[in-house]
Amino acid sequence: MESLATTTYQALALLLSGDRELWAIIGVSFRTTMIAILIAVPLAFPIGFILGTTKFRGRWALISLFNTLLSVPTVVIGLLLYLLLSRSGPLGDLRLLFTDQAMIIGQVLLAFPVLVAMSLAAFKAAERNIWETARTLGASPVRALLTLMHEIRYGLAAAGAAAYGRIVAEIGCSMMVGGNILYHTRNIPTAIALETSKGNFSQGIALGFVLLILATSLNAAVITLQRRSEHHR
Amino acid sequence: MNSVLSARQKTPLITVKGLRKDLAGNPLLDIAHLELYAGEAVLLTGRNGAGKSTLLRILAGLERADQGCLHYGESSKNGPTPRDVIYLHQQPMLFDRSVADNIGYGLKVRGCSRAEIADRVTHALHWSGLEHLARRNAKTLSGGEKQRVALTRAWVLEPRYLLLDEPTANMDGEALTLTLQLVARLVAEGVGIVLCSHGLRADSPLFKRALHLHNSLLRELKSPQNLPTNGPTNELAKSMDATKQCVCQRSIS
Repeated sequence: MESLATTTYQALALLLSGDRELWAIIGVSFRTTMIAILIAVPLAFPIGFILGTTKFRGRWALISLFNTLLSVPTVVIGLLLYLLLSRSGPLGDLRLLFTDQAMIIGQVLLAFPVLVAMSLAAFKAAERNIWETARTLGASPVRALLTLMHEIRYGLAAAGAAAYGRIVAEIGCSMMVGGNILYHTRNIPTAIALETSKGNFSQGIALGFVLLILATSLNAAVITLQRRSEHHR
Repeated sequence: MNSVLSARQKTPLITVKGLRKDLAGNPLLDIAHLELYAGEAVLLTGRNGAGKSTLLRILAGLERADQGCLHYGESSKNGPTPRDVIYLHQQPMLFDRSVADNIGYGLKVRGCSRAEIADRVTHALHWSGLEHLARRNAKTLSGGEKQRVALTRAWVLEPRYLLLDEPTANMDGEALTLTLQLVARLVAEGVGIVLCSHGLRADSPLFKRALHLHNSLLRELKSPQNLPTNGPTNELAKSMDATKQCVCQRSIS
């Protein structure tokens, strides 16, 4: 095994030289996770709003369901999705197994509980008066909801960043339903696992760098946003 | 804007009939009949928890009554939340944006053009004397300033009726005077107002009527009809005086 310094140097060279394979893997990661977040947010935030601001029978059951989903391992979600999508499964006719669509479905499922739980907390902390004030000044219910979301925008952005962090770094679900096919479903985490098992450390480290930079900036963003939302109390 | 004389018009802006609201099995509100007119300030008093806020919120369409009917003058065709009636919370809720954007909010959701919003907001800031705060973030204002911004934000929409929930709570000195001056000017411009308060007195010339809520029943403490010495014109003159005073003070400052 080469020294760590040499491998790291090779990794940076790979990244900077614009290695086609490496950047295709990074591309798959970003494309699927972005689409997944864009699908999940408009579905999850209204649920967070309803759970956070209204009272109805079964509300607590739903809240604990979403909190439980937060801690379900990604491989378990991957397994369930695999069973659903495999040729003999109930959704087998869709032929989605080992496609990037299957990865996106898995990522939506993984992002969903994070978005619901964190937006619920943000909506709950918001003053009910915001909604009523908007309504009494003539806003439609949808407009009033948008105004309320604007008031808690930092909290909601933090929810989005945390959910994104979960899906861009997960490996279990992507591996099981994506299949790790180069240029199609091989993303950063599955590629790191594969390259490392082949002993090809420089590519693994290069991809690790990308994830590390992403994780650091996402965390910094979440912290900044949360601090801002506290300032506005 | 309505003229001062419309205060004497005979059609009520809001009519309440047989309104009932229960809270945990006990009657909270039981109001057989209530008529509210334009250009008239009504003081609503009552103990904590007597249901003053609930009554205002029902009138504003933010809460539902268990029984009874509400009729909003000519604007009843606009549905259950009439756009001409605006409710102001005890703690004025200003949005996390500039004072000017707060005041323009109602115009924006009504689809007014940018130019019209800018124009009317400038006019409104001048009306309330808040020009110097226009660009400040509304969250950074003091309690009295917030209340005045909230009143201006309602005024710019040219409402027929305002429901003010304890607008002067925790307020004293200049903030109280400035807020009440704005209320007096709204009344003089023909807006109908119900103001609920602990601290304000029913004998203030600002209020032509005073209602007291006790054990779910509404009692008329003071009304323009049952004042033998002060006829309606006299009362009107008095509230005009109060308004003039504030106009003078404003032009001096």
